[in-house]
Amino acid sequence: MFRRLIALMVLMIVMLPPGVAAEPSALVIITHPGVELDSLNRETARAIFAMRQRTLPNGQSAHVFVLPDSNAIHERFAKEVLNVYPHQLRLAWDRAVFSGTGQAPNEVANESAMVDRVAATPGGIGYVDRSALNDRVRVVGVE
Amino acid sequence: MITLALGLVPGASASEIADTFQMHGFMSQALIVSDHNDFFGPSSEEGGSLEYTELGLNVSTRPSQNMLLAAQVLARKAGQGSSITDPELDYGVLDYQLLADGNRTMGIQTGRFKNPFGFYNLTRDIPSTRPGVLLPQSIYFDRTRSVGLSSDGLLLYEEERLSSGTLRFQAGVGKPRLNSDAEYTLMTAGKQPSLDGRTSWIGQVRYEHAGGRFIAALSAAWVNADLDTRMAGSGDFSFQPWILSLQYNREHWSLTAEYARRRLELDHFDRDGMNSNVTGESWYLQYTYRFLDNWQWLLRYDALISNRDDPSGRTYEAAGLGPAHSRFARDITTGLRWRISSGWLLEAEWHHVDGTGWLPLRDNLERDDTDRYWNMLLLQTSFLF
Repeated sequence: MFRRLIALMVLMIVMLPPGVAAEPSALVIITHPGVELDSLNRETARAIFAMRQRTLPNGQSAHVFVLPDSNAIHERFAKEVLNVYPHQLRLAWDRAVFSGTGQAPNEVANESAMVDRVAATPGGIGYVDRSALNDRVRVVGVE
Repeated sequence: MITLALGLVPGASASEIADTFQMHGFMSQALIVSDHNDFFGPSSEEGGSLEYTELGLNVSTRPSQNMLLAAQVLARKAGQGSSITDPELDYGVLDYQLLADGNRTMGIQTGRFKNPFGFYNLTRDIPSTRPGVLLPQSIYFDRTRSVGLSSDGLLLYEEERLSSGTLRFQAGVGKPRLNSDAEYTLMTAGKQPSLDGRTSWIGQVRYEHAGGRFIAALSAAWVNADLDTRMAGSGDFSFQPWILSLQYNREHWSLTAEYARRRLELDHFDRDGMNSNVTGESWYLQYTYRFLDNWQWLLRYDALISNRDDPSGRTYEAAGLGPAHSRFARDITTGLRWRISSGWLLEAEWHHVDGTGWLPLRDNLERDDTDRYWNMLLLQTSFLF
């Protein structure tokens, strides 16, 4: 049965997708204006939104805001910007919260609440469609 | 505990503690019906068993930017030998991130931490993080769940971000929590021995490719304890499992496989018959398919061999130790999960099992009366907030 498992492993590796290049997105990561940060690499953005990293690269405590799982912007943000599926994020949060390794993100109802909360919270980080942007928040690029 | 840590941490502020305070919890209730053999209560009797209930509540806060305080209380009824009115501290940690920059995160957990073992051990009691009502029993035994569940000690973790994915290392040292479930399994001549945990080790290396499309992990542990029996004196208990875990994730389906080897060594007992060295083996292959947004279908094959030198259990039976079928289990499982709302789950799951290798002993006191082939249906509803 060990041989069967190795065969399965080989099969899984063969099926690995090539490094997925996400398409340019109209979605942007936003932060509180006091966060001095111009860009994040994708792995760090993923670690922050998956609640595995608690500080922003500038050392500030991160306060993560997300839209509900069923929100179309959330789904697109997960897939296009973070390159993960929404169900993986949900599982990561449940695992963090119930194992003592992290906290849950703050859920907001819609994009305007997202902008309001991020703008009002030092260390706040979230995401919106470019159309919902205003100058109360800072835009952070993803490398 | 929070005020204690506060005093120790310069830079911790009361407003940060209040701003980042969170409370979460979960509860679940199952109905279990089996045709033969009892699982978590009298499931084979008319009406089935309702003796599978879980309740958990946790709090957490971040007093300063690199610190997390978190604790969870868990009450659990799962058949004979457990009680819902006997809650325990599931974990209670002070987590300090020494380093967090664009490329890596490094930290340390002290206190009672959950052991990072396989894919599911960390949150094995949380219905929404399990693929079904029951985890594959060949690896995540419920009858000896306390072995390897958590430790009182120190855990170091480091996460390295590479261009292709994330590499995560964890290594812990501490005293394992061993409860009466493990002692019961080691019973000799009707007498339950006592197990006292000694310094034990756990480690895991995990690689997540492209945001978790493909995940591979290797976990290993070395659990040590003093075993004190009335019949054979006292000696050393040493449990050395390792697990290879693989998972491939797509948007609508996941394929998961884990393979485990477990070595259990009993040594330095006065009576030589007590000293033993047995290696068991387990593996499962699991497919989950997510459809219609809120539904998930599960299909799994799960196999266990208690002793690699006696896979059929015939030698065991010939020695008069018990039925051969108690030394293996092959379980075909299929189930459905419906996420009614974001926190509310309804699940149904059917098992067809050949063997009783992981059947809880306390629910089946007459081992010779167990049936080799049996079926079990589980219905569970759970709520998480």
